[in-house]
Amino acid sequence: MSSVLIKNEASLGLKLVAPAVGIIGLLVVYPILFNLYLSFFDVQLNGNKTFVGLQNYQSLLSNPDYYHSVGVSVLYLIGTVIGTTVLGLAAAILMNQSFRFRNLARGLILLPYFAPVISVVFGWQFIFDPVNGIYNHMVVDVLHLTDTRENLIGNPDSALLVVILFDIWKHFPIAYLLFLAKLQSVPKDLYEAAAIDGQNAWGRFWHVTLPELRFVIATVVLLRVIWNLNRFEDVYLLAPNVETLPIFTYYQAFAGLVDQGTAATISVIQLLVLVALIWLYVRKVLKW
Amino acid sequence: MNKRTRLQSLLLYTLVISLVVFCVFPFLQILSTSLKHPIDWGNPSLIPRVLHLDAYKELLGLMPPKEADIPASIQRLLDNPALSAEKKQQLLAKFSSGGDVFPFGRYMLNTFAISFVTAICSTFLASLAAYAIARLRFPAQSLMANGVLFVYMVGGVLLMVPLYQMSVSVGLASSVGGTLLSLFLIYLIQTLPVAMYMLGNYFRTIPFSLEEAAMMDGCSRVEAFWRIIMPLSKPMLFTVFIYCFVIAWNEYLFASVFLKQYQDFHTLPLALQTLFTSKNAIWDRIMAASMLTLLPVIICFMLANRHLSGGLTDGGVKG
Repeated sequence: MSSVLIKNEASLGLKLVAPAVGIIGLLVVYPILFNLYLSFFDVQLNGNKTFVGLQNYQSLLSNPDYYHSVGVSVLYLIGTVIGTTVLGLAAAILMNQSFRFRNLARGLILLPYFAPVISVVFGWQFIFDPVNGIYNHMVVDVLHLTDTRENLIGNPDSALLVVILFDIWKHFPIAYLLFLAKLQSVPKDLYEAAAIDGQNAWGRFWHVTLPELRFVIATVVLLRVIWNLNRFEDVYLLAPNVETLPIFTYYQAFAGLVDQGTAATISVIQLLVLVALIWLYVRKVLKW
Repeated sequence: MNKRTRLQSLLLYTLVISLVVFCVFPFLQILSTSLKHPIDWGNPSLIPRVLHLDAYKELLGLMPPKEADIPASIQRLLDNPALSAEKKQQLLAKFSSGGDVFPFGRYMLNTFAISFVTAICSTFLASLAAYAIARLRFPAQSLMANGVLFVYMVGGVLLMVPLYQMSVSVGLASSVGGTLLSLFLIYLIQTLPVAMYMLGNYFRTIPFSLEEAAMMDGCSRVEAFWRIIMPLSKPMLFTVFIYCFVIAWNEYLFASVFLKQYQDFHTLPLALQTLFTSKNAIWDRIMAASMLTLLPVIICFMLANRHLSGGLTDGGVKG
């Protein structure tokens, strides 16, 4: 290519990316830096700030509530990442079989992923409603496991379990799609060879499917961690009493005694963790 | 492969049905409760004893206005023939303006408008940028390709404080128009990286020889993009549009931060949350409102379903 063409191409390229990159720069990159700046200030809702140096970091790191919400976040991450990965894998293996109405079933299990959180949380609220809900009906009236109806979502400890279950329900379809795409590309003769070797279904899963899928599994796990670290709406709308880090940050920033400087500080720390995870993803997963 | 035994088939269908029921049950619960009369809520069956459509009628404004509850003393005043008709109207208005009417149609329209505009702008800007990143060579190209991925993974929660403070400091947060503009821009960045990522991966699957041939025939690069790539990408563009639309339709966090004080401009997620925590929290209305919020998403989903799975695994794995 002549140098004029290369120049033209470069200038066209820059023109085409300019609007998108401009918006992203203004509304993502700049705010990330601004957030770092804000974390050194006492910030009011109306924009007034006073410089406080490292005080936000000091008070945050000596605040037991912060560690509590870190703990809740970790439990939430462990539960949801394992849950979505395992269920996604199981669903993908199941939907890779041929059976009648397979396309219908494949479509239906994607629904939770697309549905607005705000709609489905009410369905879940009703299921666990102490007076009318099917959960208490089953546990108390049908199975007689306990005598008293319990408000599972009202109690933060049990609400965490409900929130994890809800997240698995809502987000396993994305893991399922990634697994299914990979499963469909696994060569059939690998299975046939394993069958000739006398492997049963379990053996074929263990010796063929799992090794073929190991990179996708790692991808799914890492992506789940990255997304769920920031997950706000699903938790807040279903059970605002489960204080994962994003919820804790939201309360600091916009509820009660508003302290936007501290909220910025939490975000800075969380972003550092996130950057490490994304770096891992780009360096390891995308290179595979 | 060998045929399944009867036992294996039974097991397979049992598992498939269990999985589908697990996925669909909350939706059935919402539909069922929205159609039940309050006396029927304790009934664990999903099938209502009587079909009760009042909640839908109320939300969609199809209910006849309720008879106002007028205290006896006021009634006596009204019966007084000395009172002018105009005065009577004013008095009546005080009691019949049921402050608890929930302007659902309005919220739906708000949400539709902002989601539609976001999705159009996002798809358009993303297709330009994605084409450049996928096909053209320019300085900082790979930085941008990786940057998109990074930005795509930074969640809104991490940006809520700085974005709020920015809109306060430039004065956008203090007017309705400015707030709506802020929200539109925020929705744009929530959808742009996803859209760029999905479209970039798609454009790479289109053979370059097609553009080359067009350019041989005298098309400029831009024309080749416009006449060859865009029409070939229609299904994917549509999928990306739907995806962005649904993200904006579902968004709650920023709507709650920015629109709190402008009730007329609430979007559905915000309005539903307000409805749920207000004195009007009645299950059938909540569920009917949920159902109506779900409906457009399900329609979008069915329209885009054919291309959705491929598009998502090609990179659109947000969420």
